[in-house]
Amino acid sequence: MRVIVAGVGYRNLRDHSVGVEVVDRLMARAWPPDVVVEDLSYNPIAVVHRLEDEPPDRRFERAVVAAAVERGRIPGTVTAYRWDGALPGDDEIHRAVTEAVTGVIALDNTLVVTRHFGTLPDEVVVVEVEPAVHEFGDAFSDAVAGVFDGVCELVARLATEPDAAARLLLAPLGGPVAASLRVP
Amino acid sequence: MCFKNLPIEFDAQGKPYLREGVANPYAPSTAPRGAPAQLTAERVEELLKRNGYIKDLDFDPVTRVAGALAFHTVTDFQSRKVVEARSMATLFRGYEVIMVGRDPRDAIYITSRACGVCGGVHSTTSAMAIEMAIGCVPPPLGVLIRNIALALEFLYDHPLHLHLLAGPDYSAAMVGPTNPSVLARARTTEAPHAEVHGFRTMAELMEDLNPLSGKLYLEALHMTRVAREAYVLICGKYPHPQTIVPGGMSSTITLSVMNEMLTRLVQFFDYSKKLATIWDDITEFFYQANPAYQQVGARRANLIDSGIFDHPDAYDASYANAAAWGERRWATPGVVVDGELVTTDLHRLNIGVEEFVEHSYYEEWTGEGQRQRFATDPAGHPLSPYHPWNKVTKPRPQGQSWKEKYTWDTTPRWDRQSMEAGAYARLWNTAVARKLPANPFIESTGTSLKLRLPKGAMPEMELEWRVPSVWNAFERNRARAYCTGFTALVAMNNWLAAMDRLKLGDTRTSTPFEIPKRGEQQGVGFWGAGRGYLTHHLTLDRGAVANYQILTPSTWNAAPTDRWRQPGPYEEAVLNTPLLEETDDPAKFKGIDILRAIRSFDPCMPCTTHIHTDVGVITREVNTCACGVDDEPA
Repeated sequence: MRVIVAGVGYRNLRDHSVGVEVVDRLMARAWPPDVVVEDLSYNPIAVVHRLEDEPPDRRFERAVVAAAVERGRIPGTVTAYRWDGALPGDDEIHRAVTEAVTGVIALDNTLVVTRHFGTLPDEVVVVEVEPAVHEFGDAFSDAVAGVFDGVCELVARLATEPDAAARLLLAPLGGPVAASLRVP
Repeated sequence: MCFKNLPIEFDAQGKPYLREGVANPYAPSTAPRGAPAQLTAERVEELLKRNGYIKDLDFDPVTRVAGALAFHTVTDFQSRKVVEARSMATLFRGYEVIMVGRDPRDAIYITSRACGVCGGVHSTTSAMAIEMAIGCVPPPLGVLIRNIALALEFLYDHPLHLHLLAGPDYSAAMVGPTNPSVLARARTTEAPHAEVHGFRTMAELMEDLNPLSGKLYLEALHMTRVAREAYVLICGKYPHPQTIVPGGMSSTITLSVMNEMLTRLVQFFDYSKKLATIWDDITEFFYQANPAYQQVGARRANLIDSGIFDHPDAYDASYANAAAWGERRWATPGVVVDGELVTTDLHRLNIGVEEFVEHSYYEEWTGEGQRQRFATDPAGHPLSPYHPWNKVTKPRPQGQSWKEKYTWDTTPRWDRQSMEAGAYARLWNTAVARKLPANPFIESTGTSLKLRLPKGAMPEMELEWRVPSVWNAFERNRARAYCTGFTALVAMNNWLAAMDRLKLGDTRTSTPFEIPKRGEQQGVGFWGAGRGYLTHHLTLDRGAVANYQILTPSTWNAAPTDRWRQPGPYEEAVLNTPLLEETDDPAKFKGIDILRAIRSFDPCMPCTTHIHTDVGVITREVNTCACGVDDEPA
């Protein structure tokens, strides 16, 4: 199975850099040839173009995407789920495309836009971290720093262990409350 | 006469001076003559109280713009006119504050983040301001490659705006619900340029402007990729380039790079033919459907553009020679007042610029006890205390009030007049000035620009953009469509010139430099964004930034009403817009004509989207185009 492990976020934005920091950490590891680790923190339309460049017979079959997303959970909460792929209405998708081409980088936008244009793998596993702070800087908050190692390991397992992703709940963007867990 | 309001005159050699006997030449009492005025807040309140058919109509956020913009109107649903219009930039990010005290080279990377669409223009303008301050002249190939890079950035920007942001306003999906009679007419109206763009009727064309599903929408997304791929060949990454430096470009330019670039650039020749004819057909169709459409977004043709795309034999990075090298640019700098080109001289353009903050969330920096840092520019020409080189950014957040302060945008004025910026100003100046370098593709006739687009899959074709007799939302979009072809041909001219340099073995793209650690230096980058006018004014003190001021196209366009009640360009355009939507029910009213007026400027606003919910307003912070504001404070 070809797998892309991706991070989405901004550099130097403290907790909101989780996605790119996960990718930085994991890129230093040795991976099987069918696993690609990439930073997808750029215009989601360009991500569409990146993904559609894969040869038809070598398209990714699973994406494991890590990012910090503010959803009102307790800071440091890690939520992992298989995205059910449900898209919002056309107006919302159009808004997402507008934000994409004008430079917005956000997990939901990236997933909605790439799914809409049909370039996202069928199986999408999302690992979200609830950030505590939204400000410039290269250090995580204590809440996010405390879970970061665990997040990296979780993403690695989801990318390489055949059954790990299957055990996750299927959920809309944001994940099921029941799937939230605190990584020790 | 260049200046009508400021007391600036010229000696026999053309050098400007302040008229003698004027005690305070830049006093607030010097008002713009003949300018329109907003109603007073008191008068608007009175109208709202007395008339049930006059209502508040707010757009927050204005969607399909880069970044976020909010717009307040008071609308008379009986006479179908807007009686008050207020443009609001809603976020302060403070690039100008961030830059103070830093190494000037940081500005290239930091100011790029002002925009998620066109970061390269800020990097370049910043590099040029540094070049001027330290006296570093790029080699010819550096100038040429810089021109190509920024042209490619515009080739990303223009299709994006035309068919993703503004285009849907003219789509069947939008016109059907708002103006069913117009869509019905479109179904029986043949498209005049069907042989070029392939749409038999206007309705077919409008169907393919539909968001998400329309062929034109999807094609524009694809063309952004083509432009981006060409751009990263020389700039490393998009939208924040890594190869722009004072003194040129740090890219290594090879024949392979040039050829890969060319294969992408030439795709814009055919695409430009389609764009121009599509927007010709849309414009003429709407005018014929209802001549009142000529009033949508209409305002005085007051345009300003700092010019762009230097000639390598002319550009010497000096302020002293800016008037000369500016006029040899591929896009001529200039100021158009009431449809007349009044100057193409960058010195005159520069000294006429002032920024005011009466209705902005800033404190005044002039006044009693305040020292004016520069009484003149480096060439000895008079400068206003409100000029960017004298400006000090003093943010002061406070509550919103139409009488007091309501935006983070400032109020730039030229000769005290409200000016608009845009790709169209670039075309207008260049068409009228007749100062284009000799070349095989573009001709400036004095009233038009002729664009000879080479053969691609389509045959060679000559397009002609004519200076319009009316100035409105449709003409802005039409001009932007033509500007795509103009930009592609500027890139082609520079590509050919760059190949000539390479054939001579000249591969040098940059000049080494050092930042002086002593004394004070001044510089200004005169450049342009896809949306038009862009300047960065810089003052260095002992090697660090002492002052940094960015003035972007959306700073001009989104400006609030000034102290003389003269509305900003968005505001003026909306005040002149008739409400042609086919409904008498305010509850069903979408405000499409107002939105067409605003979006025709290609707004590029700060990075916050305000979303109304049942429990109030929440703010979603995003890092996208901040051109409207970041320049300000920012």
